[in-house]
Amino acid sequence: MTQEIGINQLKRRDFLKAGLVFGAGVAGLAAGYAAVPDAFARAVYAAKREGLTNDNVLVMIQLAGGNDGLRTVVPLADPTLHDLRPKLAGSMVSQALPLNSQFGLNHNLGAIKGLWDKGKVAIVEGVGYPNPTFSHFESIRIWETGDPTRRQVDGWLGRTLATAYDSNGHPLTGCACGATDVPGALRDLQATMTVIQNQKTFGFTGGTEVEAAVGALYKGTPGIYGALFDTAIATATETMATLRTSAASYQPMANYTDKVQLVYSSKNQLAAALQLAAELIVTGTGVKLLHVTLGGFDTHYTELNRHDDLMGYLDSAVGAFYQDLAAHGMADKVLIATWSEFGRRPKENASGGTDHGAAAPLLLIGDPVNGGLYGETPNLTNLDATGNLKYAVDFRSVYQEILGGHLGADSTKILGSSFDRVPFLKAPVATTV
Amino acid sequence: MWGWGGLNWPMSLAPSPETAVSTRVQVRRGITRRQALAAAAAAGVGVGAVRLLGGSMQSLAKPKAGSGTDWVSPLGSESARVMQLLRRTSFGYTPAQLESALSDGFNKTVDKLVETAPAEPPTFDSANTPGGRFAIGLLQQWWINHMLSTSTPLAERMTLFWHGHFTSDYRKVADDTFMYWQNLTWRRMSVTNLRSMLMEVTTDPAMLRYLDLATSTGQNPNENYSRELMELFTMGPGNYTENDVRESAKALAGWQLQQPDSYATVVVDKANNVTRRLPVYTTQRPGVFNPKRAFKGNLTYLGKTGPLDAQAVVDRILAQPATAQFIAGKLVQHFIAARPDAAYIKTLADAFRRSKYDMKTLMRALLTSPQFNAAQSYRTLVKSPTEFMVHSARALGATNLSKLVAAAGSGMGQSLFDPPDVGGWPNNESWISSNTVVERVNFVTAALSQIKTSLPAASDAPRQHLDGVLSPQTASLLNQAADDRARWFITLASPEFQLK
Repeated sequence: MTQEIGINQLKRRDFLKAGLVFGAGVAGLAAGYAAVPDAFARAVYAAKREGLTNDNVLVMIQLAGGNDGLRTVVPLADPTLHDLRPKLAGSMVSQALPLNSQFGLNHNLGAIKGLWDKGKVAIVEGVGYPNPTFSHFESIRIWETGDPTRRQVDGWLGRTLATAYDSNGHPLTGCACGATDVPGALRDLQATMTVIQNQKTFGFTGGTEVEAAVGALYKGTPGIYGALFDTAIATATETMATLRTSAASYQPMANYTDKVQLVYSSKNQLAAALQLAAELIVTGTGVKLLHVTLGGFDTHYTELNRHDDLMGYLDSAVGAFYQDLAAHGMADKVLIATWSEFGRRPKENASGGTDHGAAAPLLLIGDPVNGGLYGETPNLTNLDATGNLKYAVDFRSVYQEILGGHLGADSTKILGSSFDRVPFLKAPVATTV
Repeated sequence: MWGWGGLNWPMSLAPSPETAVSTRVQVRRGITRRQALAAAAAAGVGVGAVRLLGGSMQSLAKPKAGSGTDWVSPLGSESARVMQLLRRTSFGYTPAQLESALSDGFNKTVDKLVETAPAEPPTFDSANTPGGRFAIGLLQQWWINHMLSTSTPLAERMTLFWHGHFTSDYRKVADDTFMYWQNLTWRRMSVTNLRSMLMEVTTDPAMLRYLDLATSTGQNPNENYSRELMELFTMGPGNYTENDVRESAKALAGWQLQQPDSYATVVVDKANNVTRRLPVYTTQRPGVFNPKRAFKGNLTYLGKTGPLDAQAVVDRILAQPATAQFIAGKLVQHFIAARPDAAYIKTLADAFRRSKYDMKTLMRALLTSPQFNAAQSYRTLVKSPTEFMVHSARALGATNLSKLVAAAGSGMGQSLFDPPDVGGWPNNESWISSNTVVERVNFVTAALSQIKTSLPAASDAPRQHLDGVLSPQTASLLNQAADDRARWFITLASPEFQLK
């Protein structure tokens, strides 16, 4: 077998099994190992196009810890807010960037407000699910799997990869940027995806000889982790080859910076992660689903400065990302969506912070959106028994619109059901309900 | 620097791995007792042999249907059981440490591990820095040096386990001295009693900061610690109500940080000449209770109504059967099996409760249970990055790698004193991704390049560190490696070595 044989007919896992990458490519190794993955990667691009319904890309930004919806999209004219939050309400209302007479964006979301003014931001208010849990990890899992009954184990984006792309795909169809482990949303036993913490250091120290040796070492590994290990190395090797090409042709057209003032230093380099996402998108690697994370939103304490700083960090990174995509002529393909496991309690606590809450707004940003406010205004005078905001829009309605309307995937198959539409897309590519 | 170019890698792979496997790993004439014992681990195993998978363990191998094979357990032999015990309860071993444990045998080694009081690490020099404003890397290296040299390795493994369980991170705690203290406390309490441990955790200064109990009041409570105490530290979700979270938040309020010994004025920003008045502690101090900030009155918590303070909250939690199950289950997942059997966990949990939550009883029961040495548990756990790196350094006999170990963990997903979130570190398959496996390989490359002296002989490494149970690929590459550096590289970078 050689690497030219049958790529178009083979499924991705047959590839790994047949050892086209490492095993049988003795001639390839002798001729210079680095040449093999490049040829391989190009062949895969050609192959995978069959499986794609369009060129659209999704970028999910996780605001980990529970983002305070009321400080993100601020109610400007509700006196109850000041009763509930004597320490926090004043400045957030007075400084907010008004969207209309009722709502304003957090004052540090200036770039996103600029995109709102151009009709490129959709805000879905009151997003949540029935019987909310206030556990970070349970709620993260619910959002990641798209299943409030907690039976599903695979992530909603992982299922999308497995059902819509992966059979013809390559590992860069799904990519977690700026992370070390696979985010739950992308996890699926039948899907392969890449995880790149830092593009600059992603590679084997020691070069292609190490790469070849490790490729030979991680092949047909026995045991319950064998396939995971082998796939991780195969995926990494293919991705390195792709990045060698894309890094050479990518020139950032915006100013990304992670040097931001935060109350606590950030574990995540959001701007660098989005810059890597931009590189993968604009260099035509075929990436479809990207995931990045910004942590620190669990603001039980000194929320005022912490949350403002995080909003500013989010805004500068997203602003640069959009600008970069637009400058490369790719903005019309990319939908950016935020998510967080829950909002925060409307009433503040003794520590100048807020405890775990429920419903919150989501932001959808990019040329594909039809800008405006969707969903339902949170009612501060009609809280649930736990003192939290009641949800109006099931989060899976948002997923459904993303899957069906933006990616052209079969949302009913992926989500297991259909939900009310939230028509935040300008020109949805498919109607799935 | 260590160059790959000089190693003469076999660039063409062995035509038939099976034929290459058998030659190297065999008992030779004139070997030492240690070598004989180690070799015995491999004897009769059929090195590189694989068998078909069956049952539930197959789930993870599903993506590679058709190639679902498993490692053949060598745990029928005493020496293999000892080596697995050391892998799972220590940070690896030098040849001398292995020899000593093999000579003690499995049972005596368990005795020593469980019964020996934790060795204290040396005093950390920067602990008195005003405001604890020293680089966290210094504290990471201090701990790693102790992992490398300690005479009580189980205490270090348990300290790391509790660091991921009762977790705090230096970013939010914002005083690295408190993180140092927490590490000392977690070690001292590591194998004591859950009742006293939970009070140590509740009043630990870093924890008071990290989960906000220090700023909570009975009047207007902060729920952070209350919730995580039940969800993540003791019972697990689903065993309490939202009302319980609110009520214990009131009951727990009132604990605060102690006043420092003095304050020092320190320049925190030279360019703009910004100074700050920072606290200086000369000794470790737990939190203190301030009745003025506490809740007064009755509370209804976990089904009972009455006055409630922190100790009463802990005791109500310990009265719930869920607590022993939750702790035992997490320890089993860490030490025995990724998908443990519920009935087995219940047996351990019952013994734990009967002992009034004695950690030694639980650890002894766990390490001496048949499940610990069952063939089904062989290589079903993935070493955490710290375990992997310290194992590697010990195997290489290297004592100067703590800086590298401290820095390299981040790319593999584990930076000490900096867990990803309040849930601590995930385990097993979560350690495996395209990023982390590459970083593990890169660590081995870097470690070998930093060792300028001669390496220990690598010929025994596959038996001492991989039980002589090798995949055809690993065996083949070892057989073809040109020198000891290459053999060490393959041994430590192999999938076998990532497992415990």
